Amino acid sequence: MAEKKNKDDLFVLADNRSSDAEKIYAPNYSYWRSVVRSFFSKKTNYVALGVLIVILLLSFINPLVSGYTTDAPNINNGDLHLLPPGTTFDGIFYIFGTDHQGDSLFAAIWAGARTSLVLALVASAINMSVGVVVGAFWGYSKAVDKIMTEVYNIISNVPFILFVTVFMYIAGSGFWQLVAAMTITGWIGIAYFIRTQVIIIRDREYNLASRCLGTSIPRMVTRNILPYLTSVIVTLLSREIPSYISYEVFLSYIGVGIDASTPSLGRMIQMYATWMDQKPYVFWIPVAVAACVTISLYVVGQNLADSSDPKTHMI
Amino acid sequence: MPNNKEVVLSLKNINIVFKQGKKKFHAVHDCSFDIYKGETFSLVGESGSGKTTIGRAIVRINQLESGEIIYKGKKISGQIPKEEDRQVIRNIQMIFQDPASSLNERATVDYIVSEGLYNFHLYKSEEDRLNKVTKAMESVGLLPEHITRYPHEFSGGQRQRIGIARSIVMEPEFIVADEPISALDVSIRAQVLNLLKQFQVERGLTYLFIAHDLSVVRFISDRIAVIHKGRIVELAESEELFNFPLHPYTHSLMSAIPIPDPILEKKKKLFTYDGSEHDYSVDKPSWVEIKPGHFIFANEKEKEIYKKKIQERKIHNEEFEKK
Repeated sequence: MAEKKNKDDLFVLADNRSSDAEKIYAPNYSYWRSVVRSFFSKKTNYVALGVLIVILLLSFINPLVSGYTTDAPNINNGDLHLLPPGTTFDGIFYIFGTDHQGDSLFAAIWAGARTSLVLALVASAINMSVGVVVGAFWGYSKAVDKIMTEVYNIISNVPFILFVTVFMYIAGSGFWQLVAAMTITGWIGIAYFIRTQVIIIRDREYNLASRCLGTSIPRMVTRNILPYLTSVIVTLLSREIPSYISYEVFLSYIGVGIDASTPSLGRMIQMYATWMDQKPYVFWIPVAVAACVTISLYVVGQNLADSSDPKTHMI
Repeated sequence: MPNNKEVVLSLKNINIVFKQGKKKFHAVHDCSFDIYKGETFSLVGESGSGKTTIGRAIVRINQLESGEIIYKGKKISGQIPKEEDRQVIRNIQMIFQDPASSLNERATVDYIVSEGLYNFHLYKSEEDRLNKVTKAMESVGLLPEHITRYPHEFSGGQRQRIGIARSIVMEPEFIVADEPISALDVSIRAQVLNLLKQFQVERGLTYLFIAHDLSVVRFISDRIAVIHKGRIVELAESEELFNFPLHPYTHSLMSAIPIPDPILEKKKKLFTYDGSEHDYSVDKPSWVEIKPGHFIFANEKEKEIYKKKIQERKIHNEEFEKK
């Protein structure tokens, strides 16, 4: 009897409030805050982002200060030609040295990088916006799908490089000609990719639910479909921007890219290729910078894409 | 069930065919029934029998091949004027089976619940909208502070209740509940069912309840239709159907209900149905009212047998009462 009494003392009837069971104690979730937190939880991202910011600042600020032109003003000043990196001449410090025309390699590289970056940003901005919009409707409407799939089959069977090369031969070399060459058919691959993603999520149940609530198609696209594609779009961007830089370098290298009056990484590499044996630094420094630009863009883009996928936001 | 039998929704000989290129799949055959105001009408059948297809045809996600759906005396299937279309969308809402996939993961609960309000501009001011959302959340037992959260932060039962709040906030008259509890844990099924019942009492809602779990169906419905391979084979009031199933398929469904007693369960005889019981080669079957309120899909010969069964039971009941 005493034992039982003891038990009664030990146990107290718990107070059961059902509203307590519904409470969520985790802190409030915010998408973009989580993206930032997830991105900076990786140490390598600090490095990649740092490199990218330095590259961007140098290539947009340095050309304004250095006054680099492709006219080769020092071509007759033989003393200035092909100075090794780190030389001081006439009170001016040449960190990367000078080239065979007596131009500062440092100034030439950032002027070239600026052109290449602007080209890549313009081309990918055009291709991405056209591609995403067309892709969204392509995936959403079955009638559009029929026509667009045929168009895609025809265009995608022409090799991109071949098309761009032929186009550049016809249109002539130049910055805007190159932008046109890259964007006339470049968007269709992106649109096709987005179309596939839209088809995957188009018939999910939450979209049916929205239809039952009378949601209009533009609202469906902006609220139900595009938010799901954020990380896909960022992934695409991180692939597209570096690839346009590579295309520019490649096309200028084979001589069909940007004209001689505009500085660009590709044209520079082509021009310096002849010095590869005698003065390797003249060739390899621009190549290394081109690689740094594309790699840092790619790493930052890829990791940003990972971070923008909510699956990585779970603690 | 209410005494005044006002028909809210009526399906007339609907056929639904899914086409892909030249391939065709006849999902629903010649299906007709009426649903009365304020009742819970259940549609039961095995997976792939066409229950959900019918439910989705009512909210007009699936197109009809032939036949028509009539809501409050107006045809709502096929091409209808835009204004009427919007009226129907407001009045007929759907609750989905899988709470994991039926909520937009990239939107807050606030947006999910107010989506319908935005579409029809059913609020006077921002304050009024928030007020409505909060009320809807409270009515399903969730807290007002939840509206800033995202669906993935909730449990299955809570998510299903968000889905219910989303349809209830529209103040509909008719709800198609497509297996609303099959994806839920057994411990919270009753909670959701009671919630649905409570709304029916408070707001005079009419439900089309789609399910495959017969024990749940018996608890919630007034009338039940049994569907097999896209064809409704039997329709009767809930207790009538459970006590005196006539069609062999209904029989087999009843025999599949588990009995929570191991001894009885072991002795239970399972009844399988594969359609070989019927000989429809000469004598074609039709949809007949074999007894007031009890419909069955049968041919002439079967009709006689069923009628005899009903007669026998009547005599049996009378004798039982005499004793």
